[in-house]
Amino acid sequence: MGLISGMVMGMLFGIALMAGWKYMMQHRGTKRVAKAVDIKLLSSLNREDMKKICGENLPEWISFPVFEQVKWLNKQLAKLWPFIADAAEAVIKESVEPLLEEYRPPGITSLKFSKLSLGTVAPKIEGIRVQSLKEGQITMDIDLRWGGDPSIILAVEAALVASIPIQLKDLKVFTVVRAIFQLADEIPCISAVVVALLAEPKPRIDYTLKAVGGSLTAIPGISDMIDDTVNTIVTDMLQWPHRIVVPIGGIPVDTSELELKPVGKLTVTVIRANELKNMELIGKSDPYVVVHIRPLFKVKTKVIENNLNPVWNQTFDLIAEDKETQSLILEVFDQDIGQDKRLGIAKLPLIELEAEKSKEFDLRLLPSLDMLKIKDKKDRGTLTIQVLYHEFNKEEQLAALEEEKRILEERKKLKEAGPHCRFWGWYGRYSVIGAGVGLVGTGLGAGVGIVGSGLGAVGSGLSKAGKFMGRTITGHSSSSKRSGSSTPVNPQENGGAKPL
Amino acid sequence: MGFVSVILGFCGFGVGISTGMVLGYYLFIHFQPCDVKDPVIRPLVEQDSQSLLRLLPEIPLWVKNPDYDRIDWLNKFLEVMWPYLDKAICKTAKNIATPIIAEQIPKYKIESVEFESLTLGSLPPTFQGMKVYLTEEKELIMEPSLKWAGNPNVTIALRAFGLKATVQVVDLQVFAQPRITLKPLVPSFPCFAKILVSLMEKPHVDFGLKLAGADLMSIPGLYQFVQELIKDQVANMYLWPKTLEVEILDPTKAMKKPVGILHVKVLRALKLRKKDLLGASDPYVKLKLTETKAPSKKTTVKHKNLNPEWNEEFSMVVKDPQTQALELHVYDWEQIGKHEKMGMNVVPLKELPPDEPKTLTLDLLKTMDPNDVQNDKMRGQIVVELTYKPFKEEDLPKEIENSSAVQKAPEGTPPGGGVLVVTVHEAQDVEGKHHTNPYVRIIFRGEERKTKQIKKNRDPRWAEEFTFMLEEPPLKDKLHVEVLSTSTRIGLLHPKETLGYVDISLADVVSNKRINEKFHLIDSKNGRIQIELQWQTS
Repeated sequence: MGLISGMVMGMLFGIALMAGWKYMMQHRGTKRVAKAVDIKLLSSLNREDMKKICGENLPEWISFPVFEQVKWLNKQLAKLWPFIADAAEAVIKESVEPLLEEYRPPGITSLKFSKLSLGTVAPKIEGIRVQSLKEGQITMDIDLRWGGDPSIILAVEAALVASIPIQLKDLKVFTVVRAIFQLADEIPCISAVVVALLAEPKPRIDYTLKAVGGSLTAIPGISDMIDDTVNTIVTDMLQWPHRIVVPIGGIPVDTSELELKPVGKLTVTVIRANELKNMELIGKSDPYVVVHIRPLFKVKTKVIENNLNPVWNQTFDLIAEDKETQSLILEVFDQDIGQDKRLGIAKLPLIELEAEKSKEFDLRLLPSLDMLKIKDKKDRGTLTIQVLYHEFNKEEQLAALEEEKRILEERKKLKEAGPHCRFWGWYGRYSVIGAGVGLVGTGLGAGVGIVGSGLGAVGSGLSKAGKFMGRTITGHSSSSKRSGSSTPVNPQENGGAKPL
Repeated sequence: MGFVSVILGFCGFGVGISTGMVLGYYLFIHFQPCDVKDPVIRPLVEQDSQSLLRLLPEIPLWVKNPDYDRIDWLNKFLEVMWPYLDKAICKTAKNIATPIIAEQIPKYKIESVEFESLTLGSLPPTFQGMKVYLTEEKELIMEPSLKWAGNPNVTIALRAFGLKATVQVVDLQVFAQPRITLKPLVPSFPCFAKILVSLMEKPHVDFGLKLAGADLMSIPGLYQFVQELIKDQVANMYLWPKTLEVEILDPTKAMKKPVGILHVKVLRALKLRKKDLLGASDPYVKLKLTETKAPSKKTTVKHKNLNPEWNEEFSMVVKDPQTQALELHVYDWEQIGKHEKMGMNVVPLKELPPDEPKTLTLDLLKTMDPNDVQNDKMRGQIVVELTYKPFKEEDLPKEIENSSAVQKAPEGTPPGGGVLVVTVHEAQDVEGKHHTNPYVRIIFRGEERKTKQIKKNRDPRWAEEFTFMLEEPPLKDKLHVEVLSTSTRIGLLHPKETLGYVDISLADVVSNKRINEKFHLIDSKNGRIQIELQWQTS
């Protein structure tokens, strides 16, 4: 009796024990999962969530801007800046100086930094926004502002004149830097970084140029010309959709997907203009039109003299790289002795076009594309064009790429052959500006590097992973070097490329 | 009878309980699913007040404390990157673990150990705020609040004696508050030499450990015990002030400390080419080490001589013998106009044997480009004697930490006395009425020292060091620090201005050995100056 009742009791007890354990397992399991869910929910909160949690007691210091503020990063950056400035100065000098030497235009015997200091004011990151616009990519927008006090003096030695020191000061850079991280399955998980300046809002780069012991204003028009050159460089090199692709070491990946490629051909027929403004004292304007998508590849019509309603009927082929963001820019100039005057400018965003459909547009000419600079509401006439957009297939794309390379090569050769266009005189100044922009590029690169190292530093909290991230830090810093050195190369081609 | 019955009853209970447990195991636990599912996440707005109440203790620090910053952008970044990180980390872990397992298993008579599944789950770690501290030292301190409540699934299958057992780790949760210190800051990328990580609190660790499907961690008492054990273990290793150090740069290299001295003796030049129209050239030699900012050194000018003998000695500080090189330029001196180049050559320092004088006869070249046709021309030769003397090991500052800690006073300090080291770092918001070209004058016992002047700057950085050798501790003395500005123009109106001053009592320095502080300037609106004082005794 005892044995049986004991066995039954024991069995019941055993089963009950197991049932209890199962219950505990489930209980603890659900508790852990619930906590995991809570933590996940709290990792990205918005205003509604906060209201729901806090009710009336929402702390007043909390705000939710589109670009998240990074006060902590700015504090660290300010502290680190003297060291970054030192390091960057050495890097810039080392990498840019040989380039300056290499791309030194004829007529100038030496081009060197005689002083380079990035100043004491650190750049400020106004905000950071992270998005995932495409599978396998992270898009990070950094709102960067630098009202620095760098002092950069370039010693320009010309053959005939003695050394002219040109100083670049009061550099101000306000821009949104877009960094796209291409993700990969191997550590450090990022195979390439694409860096560009966002076109909207337009990057603003201000600076003052000063000839030490002389005056640049002595040569009229030089200031405008420099502005124009810098603008061209920024728009054609750094501004989205143009970009700098930096592969991160270790992972051999095909980055060609990230590079900018021709996607289509735009056939533009400049038909005529109506009621242009008269700019000349005697007679009428002598108008011609300059058409471009990228400032690197500008084409122009013939000049029709003494006519305010000219008819050109000329057709050009232009290459488009990014239909979504690029625009066709048409500028009407008046040919004149000395500097040509601009009669008006018009813009046609490519996104308005339909593929393989010829269409005619009447565009109103504006004094400037920058709405803030437009002061008068005077009518400047209209420009009539006919546009056909043709989308490339694979082979055509390759052919277009080859063609583009060939043109650039040719221009380079042409440049080496010697001075033969009237803009050669300005050339020295162009390269100076190129260097300046190169510096800006490096600065931006360095900024990104810092952000990167900030990330890396945070990541190191994950103990072991920290080591890997540590390696990425160096990757980032080298990226800043590269972006710095790659920038000033092309401005040179740019200067020579102006077929004006 | 009753007694036997009780014994039998106990025996029966014993048998019954084991059968019951086996039965119970098969009834309840064995058929439980082992796989880990992604949790269902409903948006916060849809949740009821009950679950909101549960959320309250986990509210991120940046919501509660204004000194913590929100870093949701980083969370978003991690979230997108997480699937890739997961794959990469698991792959690496597998690659590391497999050979170790293969090596170890024969010892324990186990047939095989393999990962049945290895994934970190779909939930990434999250940061619930970031706080940074600002100090006067050369370091960056940040404290992120890190929470990872993941749903990883790590299943290891053991096979031995024809049996298979699985161990599964699920629902790992780690909450930690690490302090990350980057120091020292150095002027080369990435601008810091070391990462130090330590935990400010004992971390919270929770997980489920399933052995053959049964979660051991849910046995009452065991979980608490294991958690405490892990916490104590981790705390022993990394709880502040214990730290984990990760070196990024070699600090001595990063700081670019001098490692040796190069003695150069310029002996003579031979058969120099004539450059002047009238008479022979007037040669002199310019010496410079690459990668330094130090001005180049010059020999005297030997007039009207194409085979000059100098026999002049110079010494230069070497910072990196592997990459640095000595540049020699021979110039033709001119009374008027530019001095003409007569030729040059470069000697990489790595070619020099240490501590051995070496006499070199170098051809003078136009450029260092080997393909340059102009180099075929004879430009003459230069003879130099070079000796590279690396510092002895003991001369070198041992560790980088010592640079911030107080160093020993150099030899020759009188006993009882010491050296007072004053470092003028930087100032903020100094402003003069007419001009702001600040420099600092320090006066100690009537002795006056000055820093260099920085032009037009309200936030100047000097980073200059001054030393005073003393017979006895300066217990009753004061250090007078004054920021001055002089006009750059030769103006007679306001030639000199005081931007502020401060008197620092030195008794504290003697008792603390080192003080690094920002002092408010007197007679200044809100100017501050950072001064580091050290009292070094032998």
